[in-house]
Amino acid sequence: MKILIVEDEIKTGEYLRQGFREAGFNADLVRTGVDGLHMAQEGDHDLIILDVMLPGMDGWQVLKSLRRNGQEMPVLFLTAKDHVDDRIKGLELGADDYLVKPFSFAELLARVRTILRRGRNGTEVTVLQVADLELDLLRRRIIRSGKRIDLTAKEFGLLELLMRRQGEILPRSLIASQVWGMNFDSDSNVVEVAMRRLRAKIDDAYDTKLIQTVRGMGYVLEAPEV
Amino acid sequence: MNSRYSLTTRLTAFFTVASAFVLVGLGSLVAISIDRHFVELDRDALRDKIHLTREVMGKATSPQDLKTRLDDVLHSHEGLFVNVLRGQESLYSTPDFQFPGNMVELTLRARLGVASWQTQKHAYRGMAQSVSMPDASEMPLQIWVALDIAHHKHFMYSLIQALVAYVALATLVAGALGWWAAKNGLAPLRTMRTRAMAITAQRLDERIPSHAFPIEMADLATTLNEMLRRLKEEFDRLSEFSSDLAHELRTPINNLMTQTQVTLSQARTTAEYQDILASNAEEYQRLARMVADMLFLAKADHGLILPSTERIAVHDEASALFEFYEALAEEKQVHLRLSGEGDVCGDRLMLRRALSNLLSNAIRYTPPGEQIAVEIQGDVHGTTVNVINQGPSIDAQLLPRLFDRFFRADKSRKQLDSDGAGLGLSITQAIVHAHRGRISVSSISGTTCFSMYFPSTKIVGKLPTTDA
Repeated sequence: MKILIVEDEIKTGEYLRQGFREAGFNADLVRTGVDGLHMAQEGDHDLIILDVMLPGMDGWQVLKSLRRNGQEMPVLFLTAKDHVDDRIKGLELGADDYLVKPFSFAELLARVRTILRRGRNGTEVTVLQVADLELDLLRRRIIRSGKRIDLTAKEFGLLELLMRRQGEILPRSLIASQVWGMNFDSDSNVVEVAMRRLRAKIDDAYDTKLIQTVRGMGYVLEAPEV
Repeated sequence: MNSRYSLTTRLTAFFTVASAFVLVGLGSLVAISIDRHFVELDRDALRDKIHLTREVMGKATSPQDLKTRLDDVLHSHEGLFVNVLRGQESLYSTPDFQFPGNMVELTLRARLGVASWQTQKHAYRGMAQSVSMPDASEMPLQIWVALDIAHHKHFMYSLIQALVAYVALATLVAGALGWWAAKNGLAPLRTMRTRAMAITAQRLDERIPSHAFPIEMADLATTLNEMLRRLKEEFDRLSEFSSDLAHELRTPINNLMTQTQVTLSQARTTAEYQDILASNAEEYQRLARMVADMLFLAKADHGLILPSTERIAVHDEASALFEFYEALAEEKQVHLRLSGEGDVCGDRLMLRRALSNLLSNAIRYTPPGEQIAVEIQGDVHGTTVNVINQGPSIDAQLLPRLFDRFFRADKSRKQLDSDGAGLGLSITQAIVHAHRGRISVSSISGTTCFSMYFPSTKIVGKLPTTDA
């Protein structure tokens, strides 16, 4: 996956590039809107992360020019200002998502992955599997090491999210929004409690723990490296 | 009149113009009346003279006799001139005096039948009359008489001079009086200005004593005081907010700084570094969240949060929130109960957020084994949503401050959990206000009830959200 980052703030840009590279992306970084536009037209990026406030040519103009030239790759806006008008403007211009600074990197990463995953659900899976944990979407059944585990509807949804995005660190806010539809800063204790209960059912009885807490970032479900 | 002129100038000018107008009118009336009176006097005198001339003529036996007699009679009347004509022939005329040729015409045209004319040195009034003598059958006689009115003219001239001088002087005096009256009458305005000048941001509790001003201005003073009171309230709230903000930011920043610097002061293991960074990340998230919340409130203050309007069944939203909080409530052994139905016209996300904050709050303060009830009552006028929980009562004095930013009823409880920034209730209030609703709280004998009311009117355009 190739990502273009257009960000004039030097530190932010460097860390974003590093973060995305370490997350397995091929990330390019440019500092001005003009360079960004040029790069986007030359290269073959799968997604552009675009700062709104850029010297010379701002994010809006870059996006407008891109769309005018028929470039349809997804664009995620970063901005320090949060005006409803801005948000609407961005989405009208054809941005795919919008993140207000300060944002957590885990959140950005998760959103980028969400956007990139869109429209490529070619093969609809019916069974998700991580190590010895199996989740059957059709029968709504969970089996670990051959034993059936009963979960509530929301717990099932939570596990499904974690398994669908195995190996990804999911921030609490993203979990709250995806599982419960809480699209705002809600009480993050709730996610903690729900996660604890899910772990009690999924992990506690087994030696291999699949769900990990990544402090300061969120949760991840993955098969431990052997 | 240009609005930049001072009130004193305007009033003075107005007073001066009005006085001048009245005085000039009065002066003119006096002058005209006196002049008319003179004309009348002259007319009577002229008629008298005509009559006298006629009498003399009646007694005259010959033209020579007439002349002698008239000379005798007129001798004693200085400034009287007579001309007696038969046709074009002058029977008698006062020597060294020339009547205007068109005397008859002048008389006919003149006001009150008295003709006026002037020579280089003198002014005259005169009259022409036809008389038919009983014995003289041939042609009618004409008697012209004239009076020198120099003394009248002189009098009128002096009078008008005196009047003009008086009017001018009186106008000046009236103007001065007007200026004085305006200045004195407007003195309270200047006092008010001095008072108002004493009011600064640091001295917003200064008030204008309304009882010290005339009735017309007492209202203004009261209104100004009312404005000052509101300003002071807002100002106090703002200053408190800024200092709270600084304080709220200082603590986590201090933690971060100390922690980071202590960590850097010597080499650590990787695990220790990871631990510190994770702890920092948590702290940063808390800061970011606080900033986001404050921005939301700032936008709300400026009426910038625009609720979209759709009809929302509160019951559905509450159910969704119950699902969300279920686990946490069970963990805390608190029961959640939902009852009633009602619709709100508003923004789904914001409404959810408002209710979420109340629920989160309630769960935090409800002791194990107790219950939290969400009661919805909807009717045609609006919908009330009550969030009721059992738990320690909140001090009645603290209740009104509960919605203040960063306010925590329990000052000692410092950020035990990440949501304790003390902005939740402010945000809920801002959301309710953005929906033109009201929020209130009561806490009596172990039962605390937050009550949100949403009127069923449609929300149009930007809304101010700062009014209480």
